[in-house]
Amino acid sequence: MVLLAHLLALGLYGLATALALAPYAGLRPPPRGLTLAVPLVGIVCHVVGVAQLTLIGVAPALSMLALFLMLLQVVSERVFRAGAVGVFTGPLATGLVSLAVLIGLAPGAAAAGRSAWSVLHITVSILGLAMLALAFIAAALYLLQFRELKAKRFGQVFRLFPPLERLDRLNHVALMIAFPTVTLGVLLGYGVRYAGGVPVDAAQVVWGTLTWMVLGWAVSVRVVRHWAGRRAAFASIAGFAAVLLVYLALKLAEPGTQRFL
Amino acid sequence: MSLAVVGVNHRTAPLEVRERFAHAAREVPASLERVLAAGAGGGVLLSTCNRTEFYLAEPGEGAPDAVWAILSERLGGGRSASAYGYFRRDRDAVRHLYRVSAGLESMILGESQIQGQVREAWEMSKSQAGPVLHRLFQSALLVGARVRSETGLAMGAASAASAAVAVAGKIFHQLAGRSALVLGAGDMAELAATCLASEGVRVTMVANRTYERAQAVAEELGARALTLDQAWEHFATADIVLSSTAAPHAVVTWERVAAAIERRGRRPLCILDVAVPRDVEPAVGRLENVFLYDIDDLQTVAAQATAERRKEIPAAEHIVTEEVDRFWTWYGGLAVVPVLKEFRGRLDQVRAQELERALKRLAHLAPEDRAQIEQFSHALLNKFLHQPTIALKQAAHVGRGYGLLEALKRLFGLEQRDGE
Repeated sequence: MVLLAHLLALGLYGLATALALAPYAGLRPPPRGLTLAVPLVGIVCHVVGVAQLTLIGVAPALSMLALFLMLLQVVSERVFRAGAVGVFTGPLATGLVSLAVLIGLAPGAAAAGRSAWSVLHITVSILGLAMLALAFIAAALYLLQFRELKAKRFGQVFRLFPPLERLDRLNHVALMIAFPTVTLGVLLGYGVRYAGGVPVDAAQVVWGTLTWMVLGWAVSVRVVRHWAGRRAAFASIAGFAAVLLVYLALKLAEPGTQRFL
Repeated sequence: MSLAVVGVNHRTAPLEVRERFAHAAREVPASLERVLAAGAGGGVLLSTCNRTEFYLAEPGEGAPDAVWAILSERLGGGRSASAYGYFRRDRDAVRHLYRVSAGLESMILGESQIQGQVREAWEMSKSQAGPVLHRLFQSALLVGARVRSETGLAMGAASAASAAVAVAGKIFHQLAGRSALVLGAGDMAELAATCLASEGVRVTMVANRTYERAQAVAEELGARALTLDQAWEHFATADIVLSSTAAPHAVVTWERVAAAIERRGRRPLCILDVAVPRDVEPAVGRLENVFLYDIDDLQTVAAQATAERRKEIPAAEHIVTEEVDRFWTWYGGLAVVPVLKEFRGRLDQVRAQELERALKRLAHLAPEDRAQIEQFSHALLNKFLHQPTIALKQAAHVGRGYGLLEALKRLFGLEQRDGE
């Protein structure tokens, strides 16, 4: 059932990706209802699959990250009319689910070594990470559109990407929500470790704290120093890259798919 | 029964001719009245800057001539307006109106303004249109809406003025509520400013070399008038600057803009330079958060959109053909009943005449026998008419009635009476 739900979600995410990319291949943009409905049905299938997973190891984390990314894609499209976000989130989520399926997803008892607080910590932390990824995507879209507008190139990016200000606002909102989310995730992590007595590796502490600090910096430059536009976009991209690179470095230091870190 | 369109458009007549044919709203009823008096069952006059077209229901021989006479009078100099125009009948007339409404006949392919103009023409001529033209114009509006929603014919910005709106729309989250500063008070500036205002942009200031001219345009746009020297400091507050002065050199320099934008924080500034020669130094576009576009850039955007729209023509034509067939099915059905009635009446008249002649020769017959013969003539006529009547009604039901009706009229000489 877990695998079937994931495979269904994978197929629908693949289709959602194809719909998002279709206008860039010169095809007529699909109806908006379809670009919302296909990922939504995929999300429903995915939730069914994720609900039966034990949140231990890399595969469930990747699966959950993909789920949140698709959820954020739908919200971005619905609230910000930023369908171009799907150009990034679609392939990313499809790749992450594929990777999770390849690594191996197995159902397990919900309580197998994990308390409800621990599950909440993991869920909230991954949601925060997905929000950070969304801020990165909005920033990347901003820079691409900025470059096209400055260079007076009126191609597909100009026509299909949202306006600069909307992308800047999406980046801002994503960071503003990501920061308290990651803060809560980190606090829950400390709670699970010190109050719950669950052993937590130093790598997890380092990475969690670094993510929180990077987000704090990205938020502070926006709020305190009033960065916006291109400079804020670069800050988001640098922050996300730092979080990703440190994760990869820590993972290389202790390889394996049994543990997230 | 028939339909026709008589008129001129931007493809058949130059601007100096078209502008003479253009009818103000108050002139429409009188012109239509003249055409209807010359022999037409109903009429609608569509008059825009690109076309003047009379749509006529049941036009008699004199109706097209009356149209050409009206237009020739406006042309003056003894010239004939028919040299600049066209005359289309029946299906071609319906197709023409549908293509007009869809924007396929427009100077800017797919432009949507024509849809409103078709609606206005119909509403203005309502008392003179008659039921068939009512139905035709109603369906034309639906065809226009269908083409715009089901194809990409209206996608993108296909004119320089709408390209200015499109470019600004790619910078700001939404245009409504943004403030615009207009430099120069020429026609192009006014046109682009009107386009921006239609998107909700507030034109707050109009600056010109001569204050009086600025004041005149500012009044029209509900803005404040400034001299050019007063305008530079407002670069710090405006979201959009629209420049179209008649200056022979660049008046918006890097120094002037750089000094002002220091005070605007990181808010983007969109400068649309629609003047020839250009008003804004190209170096201004290199300033951070300043987006500068000149008339060539806007025309590039418009040309790209037009190329994209051209790809949608086959899909739009397909819808038009489908809808012409649908209208013609209805129209054919509408025409069957009176023609059949007339056909039956004509044959019954022949029957009665021949019966009378025969009975004169058969004067010796008893009244019962005479009645039998008369009954026989009725039965024979009904038998003869049964199959053609069924065939005509069926053909009308599937949309082929009109062709058969035309054949029937011609074969039995009904058209002479139709034209009377």
